[in-house]
Amino acid sequence: MQVFRSGGRRAIHLGVLVTGLLAAGAAIAHHSFAMFDSEHQVKISGQITKFDWTNPHIYLFITGGEAGAEAKAWTIEGASPGILNRVGWKFNMIKAGDKVTMVIAPLRSGEPGGLLKEIKLPDGRIFNNGGFAGPSTISLKDEP
Amino acid sequence: MSALRRSVAIAAAVATALPALAAAPAGAPPGPMPKVEGVFFSGAWEDPNPQEVLPAPGSPPVQRVVIPPAPLNEKAQAENAARRQAQQQNRPTELTGGAACMPGGFPGMMGPVFPLEVLQSPGQVTIIAEAFAQVRRIYLNEKQIAFEDAEPLFWGHSVGHWEGNTLVVNTIGLKDSVRVGGAPHSPQMQINERIKVTSADTFEDQITVIDPVYLTGPWTWTYKYVRRKDYKINEYVCEDNRLYLDPATGQQKLRLGE
Repeated sequence: MQVFRSGGRRAIHLGVLVTGLLAAGAAIAHHSFAMFDSEHQVKISGQITKFDWTNPHIYLFITGGEAGAEAKAWTIEGASPGILNRVGWKFNMIKAGDKVTMVIAPLRSGEPGGLLKEIKLPDGRIFNNGGFAGPSTISLKDEP
Repeated sequence: MSALRRSVAIAAAVATALPALAAAPAGAPPGPMPKVEGVFFSGAWEDPNPQEVLPAPGSPPVQRVVIPPAPLNEKAQAENAARRQAQQQNRPTELTGGAACMPGGFPGMMGPVFPLEVLQSPGQVTIIAEAFAQVRRIYLNEKQIAFEDAEPLFWGHSVGHWEGNTLVVNTIGLKDSVRVGGAPHSPQMQINERIKVTSADTFEDQITVIDPVYLTGPWTWTYKYVRRKDYKINEYVCEDNRLYLDPATGQQKLRLGE
């Protein structure tokens, strides 16, 4: 697994967001984000098999993986529909069969799952996953 | 049966079945909207610096309200320590709180992590938090009930009155499980709010928690809000958190697969 180190400014930014999360915990503690490794983000590509637009989190199910790796069924967590509506997502913008590329913070357990950071859709649009999830450390801009 | 007889019979049956309707004064016109007292602050609101939106790279850090630590007395600290020890010895097997899709309750819901909506109607101010679709109702110009009469609730029993541009609110009767920052509270806890409408597009909520059983003094912080014009609050039903506790470790795990 390739390790991407974040730049200095980004690292500070992430620190602020993580602190914010702790303080917000009382109001919005659906779960701890400790299970996801945001320091070692990876890029995975594949085909959407299901898209759950639900609270408290949306889920993307894809079959695929990192470049060159064996294809697996991945479970990727996103923010809530409300947050995503406010950052420009739409409930119907992703469909089963879509080929997508995502940057995720993988599960520390090594299981095929993770927290979404950024997604590139078949039409080339790139969406982030809101403030709580924190920024992506890998750019999808040059992704085909 | 003739048509006339049939309609008389039906009318009689309806009148018997619906005595309230039958007794209503015939033809009374609907009344005008009664006057709503206080300062106008109905509408959608959010944190001046929403934490939920990813800031653009290079933009200044998100400013946020920091709730100061609760001034817990020795009894509260001892109970918290005992609870932590019990949790370590007897691993939890069931999810609790937000992880179990339970709402955070008051005063946590006033933290504008997600937008809030304020609705003002005669004798009542209603506040809806988008997150977990939480609703609290503040009854105006009513006497607060006695502590011993306050059924423990997620959002408590709130009464308020206007002092100029400030809605002064008192809340009692919160469930034991409703906690901010892990602070325990007693049935004698009360929370006072000064909801000050500072302009047409800004208000703030100074929250003061008082608990003679667990706190050494008042515990105060202030949330600030800006109007989010034309925003429509999202529906929020916590359907499935896809979490479970790993029996081997007691840690939260994500349920994988469709």
